[in-house]
Amino acid sequence: MRIPMHRFKYTKLTKEQIGTKLKAAEGGPRSASPYSSVLNGKTLKIVTQDGPTLEYKFGANRRLTLTEGGKQVSAGYGELTLNQMLFFSHLIPNEQKGYNVFIDQKTNLATVFEVWTCSGIKQNAGRPTEFTLDDREVQRQIYFGYVDSGQKAPEKLHHYTNRMTGKGIHWTQDTGIETLELYASVTNTNFVELTRHVDDLSYVSTSDYVLVDDRTIIYNRTECEFSGIHTCFAADLYGVKQVGVRFGFNDNDELEYYMFKGDGKVVGQLAYLENFDDHGLKPMFAPAAAPAGAPAAAPLQKGARTTYRPVRTFTHMTDEEVHQAALKMTSAFGAGAAQQAPPQAVATGNNLPFSDILVGKEFTLHFDNGGPVRDYRIKEMFKLQYRDHSDNVWHDADYRAYEGDDNLAWFGHMIADSKPRASVQVAVDFTNGLTTSIESHMGTPYYGNETTYRAIFGVAEIAGASSLEAPLYVRHQLTDELVGHAFSWSYSDQTTSMHIYSSPHSMSWVIFTGAQALGAEWCSPCIYVKLRPGVYIFCQNEEACNGAQMIELLNTRASHDCGFTYNGGARGVSLGVTGAIGRHIGKFDIVDLYGPKRRNA
Amino acid sequence: MNILRRSFIRKMGVGASAALAPTVIMAAGLNMAKAEANTTDDPALRAALLEEEKALRRFHQAFEEAMDKGLHEEVISMFAADTEDAEVVFNGGVFTRRSHGVSRLFRERFPAGKTGRRMEPAPGFELTPDQQRDSVEVSPDLRSAKAVFPYSIQVGMPFETETSLAAMARLHGEGVRTWWEGGVYRVHYRKDVAGQWKIRRLEYDTLSRADYRSGKSYAQPISVSRFVTRFPADPQGPDDLV
Repeated sequence: MRIPMHRFKYTKLTKEQIGTKLKAAEGGPRSASPYSSVLNGKTLKIVTQDGPTLEYKFGANRRLTLTEGGKQVSAGYGELTLNQMLFFSHLIPNEQKGYNVFIDQKTNLATVFEVWTCSGIKQNAGRPTEFTLDDREVQRQIYFGYVDSGQKAPEKLHHYTNRMTGKGIHWTQDTGIETLELYASVTNTNFVELTRHVDDLSYVSTSDYVLVDDRTIIYNRTECEFSGIHTCFAADLYGVKQVGVRFGFNDNDELEYYMFKGDGKVVGQLAYLENFDDHGLKPMFAPAAAPAGAPAAAPLQKGARTTYRPVRTFTHMTDEEVHQAALKMTSAFGAGAAQQAPPQAVATGNNLPFSDILVGKEFTLHFDNGGPVRDYRIKEMFKLQYRDHSDNVWHDADYRAYEGDDNLAWFGHMIADSKPRASVQVAVDFTNGLTTSIESHMGTPYYGNETTYRAIFGVAEIAGASSLEAPLYVRHQLTDELVGHAFSWSYSDQTTSMHIYSSPHSMSWVIFTGAQALGAEWCSPCIYVKLRPGVYIFCQNEEACNGAQMIELLNTRASHDCGFTYNGGARGVSLGVTGAIGRHIGKFDIVDLYGPKRRNA
Repeated sequence: MNILRRSFIRKMGVGASAALAPTVIMAAGLNMAKAEANTTDDPALRAALLEEEKALRRFHQAFEEAMDKGLHEEVISMFAADTEDAEVVFNGGVFTRRSHGVSRLFRERFPAGKTGRRMEPAPGFELTPDQQRDSVEVSPDLRSAKAVFPYSIQVGMPFETETSLAAMARLHGEGVRTWWEGGVYRVHYRKDVAGQWKIRRLEYDTLSRADYRSGKSYAQPISVSRFVTRFPADPQGPDDLV
């Protein structure tokens, strides 16, 4: 895929189109590995808690007969085993649904995934933001149960778990497909398609984690807000092997319905911060239709899950509409900015204090490759003057500065009268004579109310200062040193998210619940710049989300970040401040998975 | 002693709130006995007053339990009908009439802010014994009453932002800034036509606030902005300002 998933326009497949495509798969899934034949000739009655009773008869020709609620159907199926786990998958003809069934042959416990398309599920029901889920998005409902052998029903069934939280596994399927899956949340997965895609971007999909026993888990993810495709497997964490199924429609609208085996490698483990007696037994499903602004209160509907769907409520604005709004209100660090800024910019309790490191300084920043040359003269804490050599005019601007490391200034300001509205966030290393500027402006090719950024590198010179000798070759540079690391960032005592620097070009963030379980998660492209050992700039734009930009200086030695937010929309354009206390949560050893590959070699 | 010259018969301390320390209950109980002895010589009225007082304490306990469980409809039903002009005073705002302001407060504002559930006092911010002392005053006609009960509750306010952090937190019922408040409920009761006690006026008289959540080892005092915008400009706001 060359167009990233978050920019790809997935076809709104109709129920009829989906029905036609599923018809071709009623004979059962494909598999690159040979099927097992444990079920040949057998009958099974699976009783589930709060779910269906499924009575199966398996023929020798990979056909089954299912009786459910008095109705009998015949379908093809596929079957694979992993240790004691028996897994089979089939569709129900003409019903746009199917079952993925996992049976522990030692205990006779079963976990059943009912999967279906064309759900018609409404989100934000009754609110102005109401929308219906795409028909192509595969839904799932998980039932825990057992194989009824006429004995007393077991008291303990499979159950949800947080035991996978923080783990990362690099999987290679029997299809040759490689994925990196970082299970950082109890309800989501941060994953990277290492072979399907070419951009090494990580994405987030809603997930469930089920514990079978201490070495075996059952997992699924559905790529909601993207293709809607569903991946479901059982994994043995001792041998790091998997058997599973992929079901749904890819970016070419082709049905993918195949079973797979895979081998994995555990790439790391992040700490998870729930209390030690919290085992994640209760799933964290978002309420379906809670009143606006209310906490979870509404009863769960079938298929409920925690899925962030930001672009559904993100209003499209043109470049000109945003600029007209900016003419009415462009704010730097003022009340207007605070009103629009993210909570971390408002609740600045954990930000670094502003610094007077620039006060009294005059210097020139020369950026490479024909980049801008800017003179600065600064006499006070929050006001500066700058002059770009392209127009040679001095401009006044409000600014905020931090000392991100010894003698390392990190400041930001708006660019006067810019169209589209622009800001710069600048690191100036007065010890090494180096500078990096994150040049931000409103607008992307997709939305006028998204932001764009780029990093430019250069040198800083102070006239007459013999102590500052700018280097000719040494520069700040883009880096992958942070890749794999995860930090929690507490912007205030009640606003914390965890950042996972999941690839050289992207990251995800996860929101903690009150009990410090990791819940809702989303992702964006980003860049990392190395300023000094342990000191970096991290810049992300929440693309296809809310378009807001966060530009932070991370000092990993101090476990603190500080920086800026930049965003715009109908209420104007704002440059704000943000900063947080960090905790290093762990690291995945994944950096070697990225970069240009010898594809098909 | 002419009982009719007394507007209210006061009795203090029995069945004090769970927020009270046991020693305080005992002390208040002694005070109650003295107060009661001085109130009336009519044994029948005295018994009736005692019964009504017990009923009001049970009623208040039911109110606190409903608040604690988030049963806001049940809470609303405890207020006097619209014809009686029920009102709640909370954080500088007055929410009037059961089907309007009172419902708005308990059906919308409190759930959105996770407000009202009981929690232990913030360490270092416990109310003094005097502040914890409750009292119930029943009128001689047994139709109205006043009471003071201590409270120790969680109060909160949703983050007023549409950023991804807040939107995502709302997916699992978070996105709310919470804190602890301690104070006293000042309550006026009135019996309805069916003879059931109803709340005519409830005032949250906040004595202390702290940035505290259960499990935290320390707390710091905070200040919270009072209401400045009335309904409907603020869709969850009060009908009037104090």
